[in-house]
Amino acid sequence: MKTEIISARGVRVDLGGRAVLRGVDLTAGPGQIVAVAGENGVGKSTLLRCLAGLHSPSAGHVEVLDAPPADTAGFWREVALTGDEPAWYPGMSVREHLELAVSVHDGGRLSVEEALTAFDLQERAELHPLALSTGQRQRLSLAMALIRPSRLLLLDEPERGLDTAFRARLAGVLRRYAAEGGSVIMATHDHELAGECGARLVTLEAAV
Amino acid sequence: MKGWQERYTALFGAAMLIAIVSQPIASALGSLARQADPSRAGSGLALVAVAYAAYLTLARAAGPVVVSAADASWRLLSPLPRRTVLGRTTLALLAISVSSGLVLGVALISALGAPDHTSLRLTVALVLGVGAGLGGMALTVLGQASPAWDEWAQALIAFTVMAAVLLAVLGAGPGRHLTTVLAGAPVGLAVAAAGCAAAVATFLVRQAWTALDRLPARAIIAASARSGQVAQATVMVDPGALTWAAEDNHWRARTLRSRPWPVRGAWALAWQEVRRTARRPVRFAVLVSSCALPALAVAAGLTGVATVLVVAGALGAAASVTAGARRDSDNPALSRLLAVGRRAATSARALPPALLGAAWLSAALAGMSAAGALSAGPWWLLGPACAPALAAAALRMAGRRPVDHSLPIIDTPGGAIPTGPLLWAMTGVDLALVGCAPTLVALAVQPADLIPYLMAQALTGLGVIGGYTFAATGHKR
Repeated sequence: MKTEIISARGVRVDLGGRAVLRGVDLTAGPGQIVAVAGENGVGKSTLLRCLAGLHSPSAGHVEVLDAPPADTAGFWREVALTGDEPAWYPGMSVREHLELAVSVHDGGRLSVEEALTAFDLQERAELHPLALSTGQRQRLSLAMALIRPSRLLLLDEPERGLDTAFRARLAGVLRRYAAEGGSVIMATHDHELAGECGARLVTLEAAV
Repeated sequence: MKGWQERYTALFGAAMLIAIVSQPIASALGSLARQADPSRAGSGLALVAVAYAAYLTLARAAGPVVVSAADASWRLLSPLPRRTVLGRTTLALLAISVSSGLVLGVALISALGAPDHTSLRLTVALVLGVGAGLGGMALTVLGQASPAWDEWAQALIAFTVMAAVLLAVLGAGPGRHLTTVLAGAPVGLAVAAAGCAAAVATFLVRQAWTALDRLPARAIIAASARSGQVAQATVMVDPGALTWAAEDNHWRARTLRSRPWPVRGAWALAWQEVRRTARRPVRFAVLVSSCALPALAVAAGLTGVATVLVVAGALGAAASVTAGARRDSDNPALSRLLAVGRRAATSARALPPALLGAAWLSAALAGMSAAGALSAGPWWLLGPACAPALAAAALRMAGRRPVDHSLPIIDTPGGAIPTGPLLWAMTGVDLALVGCAPTLVALAVQPADLIPYLMAQALTGLGVIGGYTFAATGHKR
């Protein structure tokens, strides 16, 4: 019986006639956190997009939850992705965005109050997300991904805009998620965050 | 310095313009020499009031004192006198006020007619129009400088809207004689009113000119940033970006009062629109009142305009509650986090535009029926029958991509047609026209028996929403 949540073998991605990823292998099982590190432009975000089914590799094989990843509702019910800041819905407060996620999923991993506390957003709960600072909006993005049930978290530079103190809290949140059996793949430049999460480090090299 | 060629070109252009417009203006002025039609005067005046309220609202929303990005960054924050920095802006506002005032004046005399002293009454109307234009603009400039004046500007807008409603109601019958009395007022009284309007406008312009020197830089910079977004969206021919800029600016400045979601599952996506609409009561009130416009146009004798208003208004009402669908189409990150199946999401997203579009159309058609523009029959039932088509059209509009400027420009004898903006503008409208075709035909032919048209409309609407849902969701769930 397979125990892997993610299995990527020999992934190659060409963009504009140039190889961005070449022969990348990555596996992750339930409860594991994997930090994908590497210089700018080595293809960390591209690898995450391949795992999310948003980009087809030129060669190689990717399986997520025992099937090729696909941009369908069924896939996204199991997988949560955060990358660039989402476009927030107009007319809804921070709290209502979180409540919408819980309502749509008919229940969440965390209650809205727990999520507001975990991501230090209680004081900003009645504001529209656009009234928040960049770091606070990043915390809300992460809260939106973590409040809902999922089996796999794909995080693209989760440390973006966060202050040092909150990065330590984020590590705790991710560790708890993994302890519940979820898998986390994050592209990051923050080795300290990766270390505090107890993540397995995978360093990508520039494809030549 | 301008050379003689520039001067010659300007003079020649002005002469050509006068030659072209003098004939239509002369014939229009000739047609003014008539008694006001009592059945149309009230509606005509109401439309003038609506136009003036829109003018004031636009001026207030624009700033109205704005400067270029470079001036906002450098000259505005320098020790230069504020009036010097704002010189070009002041001239532009003056030109806009005078030209808008002239249009208002012509519209006013067209609604009221001129039973005697045609040229004097025309002059009075133009003075009233220009006075209203200049005075209104001066009031919004003062409003930019001080919140107390801004309250006056808001009160004037509210008063004008109420006057429009009152005039429309009076013109519809109960007080028709009052508008007739207004139209036939003695010329001396009209001159006195014009004098008062000119005096008030002069006072306000003088106050605004004084206030220009102490206009806070922050107010000008904020307005300039808004107009910069508008200019960028206009240059890029991207109206979508423009509406998002306005929407985001609105919410960024507000503290909301969170409420729990009363529904769960995919239907929460529909409730999202209800909540957003409830939080913009003024906009909703304007939308509700606008369903009287087709009846007003009918009363003013503009039946063709009324038909266009019915279609545009119903589609506009439906499109006003598709913000969530638009957001998801622009950036699907949140919809991926919510992970609602495409068919369920489309159904939930279609409900608010279907309900609001149907309600607006029913009310507008009932109004037109009451105004006597339609044959006998339950015309309001066409609203619910059109609901699915309006919802499909509004969702198609919400899902359109930005304008594709790489598409070719077609040269025609009537001028060049850029296909990119044209296709963008028609996306959604096309589905509304096809989906509401039986209603449009019924409005054109005014049938004695409406039932076959109702049946055809119901079937067409269901066909359109079914086709749209199938095309939008494909085989994915």
